[in-house]
Amino acid sequence: MTRFVFGRTAVLVVFGRTAVLAACLMLGGMLARPAQAGDAVCASPRQMDGFRTCADVAKAEAEGSLVLYSPDPEEGSAKLLEAFHKAFPKISTNFIRLQTGALYQKLMTERRAKAFQVDVLQLTDMGYVLDFQKRGGYMQYVSPEMDGFKPDNMSTPKGYWTWSSYIIAGLAYNPKLVKPEDAPKSWKDALEPRWKGVMNAKTATSGLQHVTWYELRKLYGDAYFDKLAALQPRAFDSYVQQFDRMISGQDTIAFTAQYSAYLLAKAKGAPVEFVFPTEGLTATPGVIGLVAEAPHPNAAQLFMDWFLSRTGQIAYDTIMSLNSPRADAPPPPGGKPIEHVKLLYPSDWQDFLQSRPAFAQSWATVTGTR
Amino acid sequence: MTPRIEVNDLVIRYGEVVAVSGVSFAIQPGELVTLLGPSGCGKTSTLRAIAGLEDPSSGTIRLGGETVFSSAERRNVPTEKRHLSMVFQSYAIWPHMTVAENVAYGLTLRKLPRAEVEQTVRRVLDMVRMDGYADRSASKLSGGQQQRVAVARAIAFSPTVLLFDEPLSNLDAKLRTEMRVEIRELQRQLDVTSVYVTHDQEEALAISDRIIVMDHGRIEQIGTPETIYNRPGSLFVADFVGAANLIPGRLAADGVFEATGGVRLAVAEGGKQDGTTVALRSSYVELRPESAAVPDRMNVAAGMIHRRMFHGDFIQYVVDWPPGQLIVRRPPTEMIDEGASVRIVCAPEHCVLL
Amino acid sequence: MRALSLRLRGIGIPGLLMLLVVLLCAALVVYPVVFIVAESLNVGEPGVFPPEAISLANYAGMRRDLDVLVNTLLVAFGATVMAVVIGFVLAWILTRTNIPGHGRLERLMELPYYMTPLVGAMAWAVLAAPKNGLLNQLWHVLGGGGDLFNIYAPLGIAWVMALFEGTVAFVMISAAMKSMDPSLEESSRVFGAGKLRTALRITLPLVAPGVLSATVFVFAEMLGAFAAAFVLGIPGRYYVVTTAIWESTQSFPPEYGRAAALGLSLFVAMVVTLTISKLIMRRGAYATITGKAFRPRPVDVGRARWLLVAVAWFYILVAVILPLAALLLTSFQKFATVDLSESIFTIANYVTALSTGTLGPAFLNSLILGLSVASIGVPVIGILTWIVYRSDLPGRGLVEYVLMFPQAVPRVVFGLGLLWAWINIPIPIYGTLWLLGIAYFTVFLPLGLRTMAGVVLQVDRSLEECARVCGASWLRQMRTISLPLLRPGLAAAWLLIFIASVRELGASIFLMGPRSKVVSPAIINAWLTSSSELSAAMAVILTATVFAAVVVLFGVARRFTGTQQA
Repeated sequence: MTRFVFGRTAVLVVFGRTAVLAACLMLGGMLARPAQAGDAVCASPRQMDGFRTCADVAKAEAEGSLVLYSPDPEEGSAKLLEAFHKAFPKISTNFIRLQTGALYQKLMTERRAKAFQVDVLQLTDMGYVLDFQKRGGYMQYVSPEMDGFKPDNMSTPKGYWTWSSYIIAGLAYNPKLVKPEDAPKSWKDALEPRWKGVMNAKTATSGLQHVTWYELRKLYGDAYFDKLAALQPRAFDSYVQQFDRMISGQDTIAFTAQYSAYLLAKAKGAPVEFVFPTEGLTATPGVIGLVAEAPHPNAAQLFMDWFLSRTGQIAYDTIMSLNSPRADAPPPPGGKPIEHVKLLYPSDWQDFLQSRPAFAQSWATVTGTR
Repeated sequence: MTPRIEVNDLVIRYGEVVAVSGVSFAIQPGELVTLLGPSGCGKTSTLRAIAGLEDPSSGTIRLGGETVFSSAERRNVPTEKRHLSMVFQSYAIWPHMTVAENVAYGLTLRKLPRAEVEQTVRRVLDMVRMDGYADRSASKLSGGQQQRVAVARAIAFSPTVLLFDEPLSNLDAKLRTEMRVEIRELQRQLDVTSVYVTHDQEEALAISDRIIVMDHGRIEQIGTPETIYNRPGSLFVADFVGAANLIPGRLAADGVFEATGGVRLAVAEGGKQDGTTVALRSSYVELRPESAAVPDRMNVAAGMIHRRMFHGDFIQYVVDWPPGQLIVRRPPTEMIDEGASVRIVCAPEHCVLL
Repeated sequence: MRALSLRLRGIGIPGLLMLLVVLLCAALVVYPVVFIVAESLNVGEPGVFPPEAISLANYAGMRRDLDVLVNTLLVAFGATVMAVVIGFVLAWILTRTNIPGHGRLERLMELPYYMTPLVGAMAWAVLAAPKNGLLNQLWHVLGGGGDLFNIYAPLGIAWVMALFEGTVAFVMISAAMKSMDPSLEESSRVFGAGKLRTALRITLPLVAPGVLSATVFVFAEMLGAFAAAFVLGIPGRYYVVTTAIWESTQSFPPEYGRAAALGLSLFVAMVVTLTISKLIMRRGAYATITGKAFRPRPVDVGRARWLLVAVAWFYILVAVILPLAALLLTSFQKFATVDLSESIFTIANYVTALSTGTLGPAFLNSLILGLSVASIGVPVIGILTWIVYRSDLPGRGLVEYVLMFPQAVPRVVFGLGLLWAWINIPIPIYGTLWLLGIAYFTVFLPLGLRTMAGVVLQVDRSLEECARVCGASWLRQMRTISLPLLRPGLAAAWLLIFIASVRELGASIFLMGPRSKVVSPAIINAWLTSSSELSAAMAVILTATVFAAVVVLFGVARRFTGTQQA
């Protein structure tokens, strides 16, 4: 159902199943070093407690450290790493949290100066993921746990990056301030003038916001955003602020409201309701990959195996209330299975990537940052 | 005899401003020499250059024959190696020390035995009549007491050269006169070569062996207090030191000075031949009754008392006379009514042609 | 050159060492500035040095940021006016009147500085946000309609900036008032002028140089203020230069060129203001420091003193008590609600704050940095101060300008410059505390220099000269005279740099790495991505830690300086 389009600006090379070989050769050539492991799993993965690994556990423990760059909320990353640290007490963990765009920018600054800090990278914007792969930034490692994921959700060739979550968004409102019958039913309803000054959204640095913009433009054209701009939504860096403000009544409705945030807030007992817009929910994948020149490559591989396993995915999904692309992982507590939700996301990631400048400008106007 | 202090062609510049331009003088051992002049005349800069606190632009300074500064030799001995001492205008008493610690500072630096330091501190404090204050915190002293401690500290380590930078200018008038006597007393007693900077001409006259009058970075006159007072070398000195009348006019062919208004004055010998002013100290003028007889050699003119001001130690008269007004100081015993006609009498040797 | 060589002979080896320190510190400042300037001209790929292509396009592009520049000037102006008025009134009350208990009150006035603008802004967001702000809720309960306050409005931002970034105005103005000869006021009273008239016609003009210089300094500070504009401006869709710069560096590809150009444009404004302030300071300094030691005699304000006490306490109320109370309340809530009566209280936020494992190391790092930057900074900046204000080293005026530069560029921009500068050097300090230490030292040079200049200028030069005349070498003079005399001032400067380091945000936010997290960015991150209740708990912990540190350090400092006063 989803097709990925790779390529350079001049020539678009469309990868079908028949073009996989060509892609391997091309990407292989782009990497600084030839792929070490290839795209096959190691011969005899070791069975650990709840997952299989190809990593050298002794070496990983000798490295003793793991650094994660992630756009997830601090609390989430902290809990995730804590769970890993509990499984491997000899490996201490650190992380940096920044919004996806800022995170990628920091990573680029560091790599340009050859200051290698990070082992594992999470991004929520396929544009950056593809760019980073093109730059040879990912380390190829084919985890034995990757067989739980659909090929559509992984890099070609395998082992550079993998989708590890669906981040999906619709609309949300505070039922104390909006009666359910008055609540919007669709993305289109969000344009009603009564939401003027009481709506919030995400900043332009968010991958999810970019996807939402991209998909809604496909449906309704640029006029949609002219009307949205008239409502003067406020832009925030993370869903936490969006929901905070909505729950506390400073805003009444959230645009690009993350489903996971709704689940978390609802679990706390906060007054909040979620809307599955009739057009569908916009979605961006959370993408994980290992970083070339990682200071702790073995620990990174071990983490990847743990994280992609059913155990790791359940831990992650429980903390973050996200849906896993892994077929055997259950939906997050209280959440709908992903198969029951209509998703909107780009079919042509290259086109998506190229729409960034237009998005940045449009979104700056909508949110009044410029 | 080698002069104790020798300054040659000293020039001090601050950027564009020339504070001292080509000053030279020599001071003999045991002498107290005053640098006198209005503020900004370069006297303090000169003193600080001797101390090594100021970097001159050119010239040489010798202390006891040893060159401590020479622009030609590129030699500049740091202050602490010049073995001199100084009393600052602000006293520079260190507030974080006791009186005794202040005085002992220079002694401890010279690594003297403890007992000797204590003894000297006691002796010196005694000399400035500050015994009993040794353990007092220096920040709790009055101005006069700080002044005494500053002097005690300066003389404690028996320096051979003592520099005074307007040490009395922050004291009230009575205390100033007292301290003046004491400083002179101490200087004589210790026989220490001293350079004393002041803008107070009275102080300079009272205290000095010799005075160097400075203006605009140059030396106007060097001489004993008597010479400076009686025979001022320039208009500036006449005006700045003591109270002098400056009488305009010109020298006639017969060698007699013809003041404006037609008064003729015989002048002292050795005056400036093309001078157009006669300087006459107000104390050297006598006022006689109109009828009084006057010796022939004296200059005489007619005048009338315009105003009388009683000062206590003297009476100051403003006398109308042909060249204008004349200031005359007479003892308080010589009381003349305002409006009275008088004969103005003065000796030719007191009329200095400038 | 000749004068230099002669002078250095007088000081010897220490002189050469000092020269080295000066050059090193100047290099620390100039090096990142080169990168900022280069980036502002860079129109090629952002962050590549040297730039692939240069042009003035980034400067030309500032046309589009005109509204942001206007916003910045408006907020900075409003905040400055408020800060100076507050500072003047409080300074007058505390230094010139006989209100009861002014000693304690004066100490309390320092508290907003320790609160930090970040915490202050977060607290005021809780207090005065439209609809659910506590003060607005109170207003609704009292029957008021609409919102009484809107902290997200420009006036609200300016208010918070004035309260928490403007504390320096009070300090500077009260210093000016303390050094004023009271007889000048008394003579006015003798001529029959009333107290108010005297305050306005005599006191005000007399301290005018001090007030003006404080105004200019505060204005420069406000132009570069970040935390309040960040916390309050973004919800209000009100962007100023610093927040616009922040936004433009947070996407990929980052608009570094725009950020650098905007930052340097503020530099122009700040150089003008700082130059004016310097000129005024120079002139003003002569007027106040050459004077005798006055014992300021307070004005008897009669029964009005209770009103004045109330004014002072009102300031404490809005700058310390209310914000802290609001934060405490929020930190114990499960989630902030529209209606306070529906609150569910919990200590879970504190448990989370202390157990997630990010805050602890961040606190530790900040304390380590504060201690070491202050301890190294004070002696080094002391030497710099001595050179700039006491020596006759040629070009020391230029040195002063260079060292003051970090004050003239918003911290967020200087932070970027430091990032580029130090990541591109083949010494592996990126991602370590060393980088943050160097960065803090560099950005606090102006603060240290300013504070210590005040201290150094208060010590009469002849006190040092006298020691030399007595035969002490330069080192001995420093040890026995200069340092003991400067000690109380140095202790104050130490505390100031310590606090500034602990609360630093603008530079740290770019420079911290996974293993070198510090506390202010950690709180910002919590505020961005965790609940406001959790970040309130963190802010309470931060404030408590800073207060505790200050109390301990004051105790130590008192013992340290007390012994020699006895």
